Amino acid sequence: MYLTLEHITKKFPGRGQEGLVTAVDDVSLAIGKGEFFTLLGPSGCGKTTMLRLIAGFEFPTSGRIALDERQLEQVPPNKRDMAMVFQSYAIFPHLTVFENIAYGLRIKKLSQDEVRRRVAQIMTQTKLTGLENRMPNQMSGGQQQRVSLARALVVEPKVLLFDEPLSNLDAKLREEMRFEIRDLQRRLNITSIYVTHDQEEALALSDRIAIMNKGKLAQLGTPEEIYELPRSKFVADFIGLANFLPAQAQSVQDGWASVQVGAHALRVTALPHDAAQQSALIFIRPGDIKIADENAVENILTGQIVKATYLGEKIDYRVQVDETELRVQTSDAKRRAVGEIVRLYLPPERARLIGEA
Amino acid sequence: MDNECARVRAHTLIMDTSLSLAQTPTSWRGSLVRRIREFRLLARDPALFVGVLVAGAFILAFILLPLVRVITQGFFTPAGEFSLQYFARYFEPGYARVYWEILGWTLQMGVLTALGSTTLGFIFAYTVVRCNIPFKGLVHALALLPTISPPFAIALSAILLFGRAGLVTRDILRMRFGPGINDIYGLDGIIFCQIITFFAIAYLILRGLLERIDPSMEEAALSLGASKWRIFRTVTLPLLTPGIAAAFLLMFVESLADLGNPILIGGNITVLSTQIWIAISGEHDLQKGAALSLVLLLPTLTVFILQRYWVSRRSYIAVTGKPTSGAATFVKEPIVRWTFIAFTTLVLLLIIALYITIFVGSITKLWGINNTLDLTHYEAVFKRGLEAILSTTFLSALATPLAGVAGVVIAFLVVRKTFSGKEAVDFMSNLGGAVPGTILGIGYILAFIRAPMFVVAIIYAALAFFFISAVSPKASLRWLVFGVGSFLGIAMAWLSYDAKMRDSVAWNYLSGGLTWLPTLQQTQWLFIAAGILSALALASLVFVEDKAKRRVFILLCFMALYLLSRELILFITDPLAIWGRRMGGSYLPAVITSIAAWINLVFQPPLAVLGFTYTVLGGFIVGMWGARTRVAAAIFLLAVCCALTFYGEPLALVGSAYIVVAAYTVRSLPATVRASIASLQQIDPAIEEASTSLGGDAQHTFRRVTLPLILPAFIAGLIFSFTRHMTSLSAIIFLTSPKWPILTALILSEVEQGGLSLAAAYSVVLIAIVLTAIGLLYFWAGRTFRANWETTLGGG
Repeated sequence: MYLTLEHITKKFPGRGQEGLVTAVDDVSLAIGKGEFFTLLGPSGCGKTTMLRLIAGFEFPTSGRIALDERQLEQVPPNKRDMAMVFQSYAIFPHLTVFENIAYGLRIKKLSQDEVRRRVAQIMTQTKLTGLENRMPNQMSGGQQQRVSLARALVVEPKVLLFDEPLSNLDAKLREEMRFEIRDLQRRLNITSIYVTHDQEEALALSDRIAIMNKGKLAQLGTPEEIYELPRSKFVADFIGLANFLPAQAQSVQDGWASVQVGAHALRVTALPHDAAQQSALIFIRPGDIKIADENAVENILTGQIVKATYLGEKIDYRVQVDETELRVQTSDAKRRAVGEIVRLYLPPERARLIGEA
Repeated sequence: MDNECARVRAHTLIMDTSLSLAQTPTSWRGSLVRRIREFRLLARDPALFVGVLVAGAFILAFILLPLVRVITQGFFTPAGEFSLQYFARYFEPGYARVYWEILGWTLQMGVLTALGSTTLGFIFAYTVVRCNIPFKGLVHALALLPTISPPFAIALSAILLFGRAGLVTRDILRMRFGPGINDIYGLDGIIFCQIITFFAIAYLILRGLLERIDPSMEEAALSLGASKWRIFRTVTLPLLTPGIAAAFLLMFVESLADLGNPILIGGNITVLSTQIWIAISGEHDLQKGAALSLVLLLPTLTVFILQRYWVSRRSYIAVTGKPTSGAATFVKEPIVRWTFIAFTTLVLLLIIALYITIFVGSITKLWGINNTLDLTHYEAVFKRGLEAILSTTFLSALATPLAGVAGVVIAFLVVRKTFSGKEAVDFMSNLGGAVPGTILGIGYILAFIRAPMFVVAIIYAALAFFFISAVSPKASLRWLVFGVGSFLGIAMAWLSYDAKMRDSVAWNYLSGGLTWLPTLQQTQWLFIAAGILSALALASLVFVEDKAKRRVFILLCFMALYLLSRELILFITDPLAIWGRRMGGSYLPAVITSIAAWINLVFQPPLAVLGFTYTVLGGFIVGMWGARTRVAAAIFLLAVCCALTFYGEPLALVGSAYIVVAAYTVRSLPATVRASIASLQQIDPAIEEASTSLGGDAQHTFRRVTLPLILPAFIAGLIFSFTRHMTSLSAIIFLTSPKWPILTALILSEVEQGGLSLAAAYSVVLIAIVLTAIGLLYFWAGRTFRANWETTLGGG
């Protein structure tokens, strides 16, 4: 693997009497060359600390980092051959766009012609041509973001680091930049590590995603794996919308489990390590639940609609089933009224047993 | 590369040590061990280490030491016996009445001045921000005028206008002052002058706050149905309260510390600051001065700490930080608006009148008696005071970049770095400017009349620690260099001591074996030291790796040459001075001899300071030296540095110009530190990290990114510093010497001799110099400084 992190732990001195705060707790990762790798998680999960450890702005309390067979623990950030795109863009406010982008090249002491050539090239690629002499404060947020990206790309780093680069842009621009970043990364084949708390962004951009929670690695996988097969309640809850239904697992066999939810018996998907137990949790996405007609009998729950919200292409219902409120999203044109009793069909292949952690 | 790694390792280790402490229960021993360990690790990040060391040394020598000496001296008689004599006077029947009366007047003055100037400051701020007064820029400039004039300018013109022979009182109102009639002299006069002198600072603080109040907050209150008055009472005022408290406390301290106004216009009223001044200048009683200083220091220090740790935490507005760019809300009620505008205008007219009076007074033959206009006073000023004008300007200018650079370094350490004692560095750097100047002045006399050997030794030890950390990773070798180098150095310094000095030095018994060493002349001695440095320079050609050879050689040659130049320069400056003195004309001799003295000043810094500097440079040289002969070279180099440090009477600075420069620097340090801190805090650390991640090292990043970004604040700091130096009186009044006369002190003595018009002429010259300097710096800095000017002053 190209970039490897082994058993990385990072502790910070806490404030006041707190003692030590563990920001990253024994995380190991291996990232391939040219891969677009995303660290995803809620704020405070340690993803930014991870990125800063890779960049060299922080040093691990223990663990090893290596890039292309070279140990990095002792190497300061300016010698790591990485470049970072910051959340705040961190554009040098006293330099023109051209000088901002040329900054890293000048440190490498390239000839004036070479600097001009490479800056011009990257400015074309990032659609900045014509803005060479602008000052940063004369540019829009999107343009500043491009400058920040160009400045990092132009030095041709071994690894490109992104620290929530799009979080300060408005929704539409964000989507646009998302594609551009992905496009550039593919074209230049630069190994990239991307930190975000936006799951949609992570799913759209990444080759692989690492979900972090409380300093630990919660799950690692491709976007499909993460979305389709979340391995814990945390991951399932964090990525997309999720319903969790307390149940009793009666028996587990051949990838299927028979469970009891209140008075209803259901059949759901089970993973090999799942076992029959007193209290289990069923996970199903709101879009997977169907509102069934009268004569369906299998995998049916009955509940009462307590809230209906019109969302345009779909309708969002809250359905009270025993003690639990289930969220059901359907594009079914037929609108149902609040108070109505409905029968819900949970497709056995879409409903899964899931761990509490 | 090697170096880089070491630095990073140090970084990591520092983090880790601070972590391990957090785990162990804190005991003083554990904490001490940790500090020492951290200190050792710090040595591996040379830039940070040197920054901390130099800042620490400066603060220790020029802020902490003088203050400690003032505090302790009050308890000891000149003979060194413990005595509470002067504190006891507050309870002795013969003295108590007078002492308590003075204290009472002092507090009365402080409270009333603080009340008055805060109120006036608020009215000005409200008028400028909320009442849309026309010619806002002019109002602003006029309000700030008193902050750039000498501290007694207002008192001077108040006497000219309202004194016994005053223009208004005698010629217009036809008042006759017999005994018992209240005249301008006295407590009311002091308070009047102080209010005019100080209110600008309150104005700046409150204006800054008012501008930052988000108009939407008041609009929110309005939309909830509150009346204008209610909004003011329940929203605006509470938001301003921390600022008002801060301004009040600051004004209180300024008033207590003020020396110029009470001396000039106090009449029969004595306040603490003048009582101290009389004790030192009139009675030459340092113990009394120090004891009274402690009495003055207590309320000042209380307020300083209160302000720093209590008021500043109560601020609601600073939290959001951003000045709102939204449309300002203006007072719409014409009665309110015009009342404020009218009042402000009246005060401005008064200020204008006061300043015009100074000018007119300076060109009047004899104020009130012979009102013909002539320029004889200016002739006298340039004849008698030219030296003072030149030396004050030169020393102020010399201290200005020092204060500026020290401010940036300290601010950078405080904002961007983590190290033990950071809070202390921040606190102490502010303290030197916050205590009354008289106290600092007395402290300087006490601290630097004799060599403060203890402090010199501490600073030397700390710097030598940095030096030896470059020698070898092996502790035994490091301590060998330290021991042998220091011993040789002290032996060499011993050569410079005469018999009396040898007796008085505390480590006499330690160096008992050295008493047989002969005493050398300074010239001979310097040649020996420079000889060793030159020999090392030659040796470096052989023993230093090719890559660093040129740098080490040039550096060592430069060190040797600069050391010799303090002797050699006399071959130029002495003839220059002699030639100058023979020149005809009334001004030329003074100018040329002054220039000769300035050149000497630059080439002859105190040897101890040179020793400190060379120790730091030596650390870098040793780091580049070849491994085989490194220990030997290090021993010789450290020996020279140590010898320089302890040569003669190190840091016995009283009477020299350096003590004035040091006092100036310390006085303006808080402003430069605060200006730099404010602007550094506005720079997103990510901008510096961006530079690092693109390959820039710490030095490159600071030079190319951080420095350009804080330049406006830096320049504003310079302007403020120069102004403060030129106009400072209380801190240097005890430090002037015949060779280096200071303008403000001279003006004061002219007033005492009754030459009001002459004093006015001096004041006009001083204000002109300050305005010229501001104009020049303003011109140089373009429009950049305007925005930062206020943050600089605002902090006080």
